[in-house]
Amino acid sequence: MKQFIILPNHFKKIGWFILVPSLILGVYIVATGYEFDWLEAKVFAIISDRSLSDREYFRFMDTNITNTLTGVLCIVGAMMVGFSREKIEDEYIAGIRLSSLLWAVGVNYLLLLLAFLFIYDSPFMDVMVYNMFTILLLFIARFNFVLYKNAKYVPDEK
Amino acid sequence: MKNNIKVERAIHNLTQEELSNKIGVSRQTINAMEANKYVPSTVLALKIARLFNKPVEAIFLLEETD
Repeated sequence: MKQFIILPNHFKKIGWFILVPSLILGVYIVATGYEFDWLEAKVFAIISDRSLSDREYFRFMDTNITNTLTGVLCIVGAMMVGFSREKIEDEYIAGIRLSSLLWAVGVNYLLLLLAFLFIYDSPFMDVMVYNMFTILLLFIARFNFVLYKNAKYVPDEK
Repeated sequence: MKNNIKVERAIHNLTQEELSNKIGVSRQTINAMEANKYVPSTVLALKIARLFNKPVEAIFLLEETD
């Protein structure tokens, strides 16, 4: 069975080392609005605006990249964890992978639906920020949980 | 569908780990098949049958509900 191209197994470990710290930092940043002063940089923006009225396209601008960097690391880390091969990647594992993705998309939209209905104003902005990452995180959580459940030692009489 | 992989495994004196290594799948896969939680692909069924030197129908059996 041909499958979506996934990374070699050792990327999974690297992914965890990137994902966990950047996720903790990310939650802290969303909660407090903290920015590292030394992370000022010139970036290339396809679209940006100084105020709501004057939208600008294709320009270089100076900004603090704490958010950018943390978000990028979260996504890269989560993708490495979620899309790396298991040590033995066979049809059963591939099946769990697919069903976990389906589960994650479903659960994510149920949660988003509840958030739409019951969360308003600026807390909803936080929901939007978190929602950028929750599909991947739910997928990783469910996939690894099912793997773990199945890997548990079963008495193996010959 | 049910199967008697566990019985065949006992006859050939193999652990789940050894069987999984011989046919190149994870141990979870063998575990899930023996627990009737996973129906293998035709390719995998044929590999298992070939290893045990029996026809597929001797190892994998349809049930009333299938």
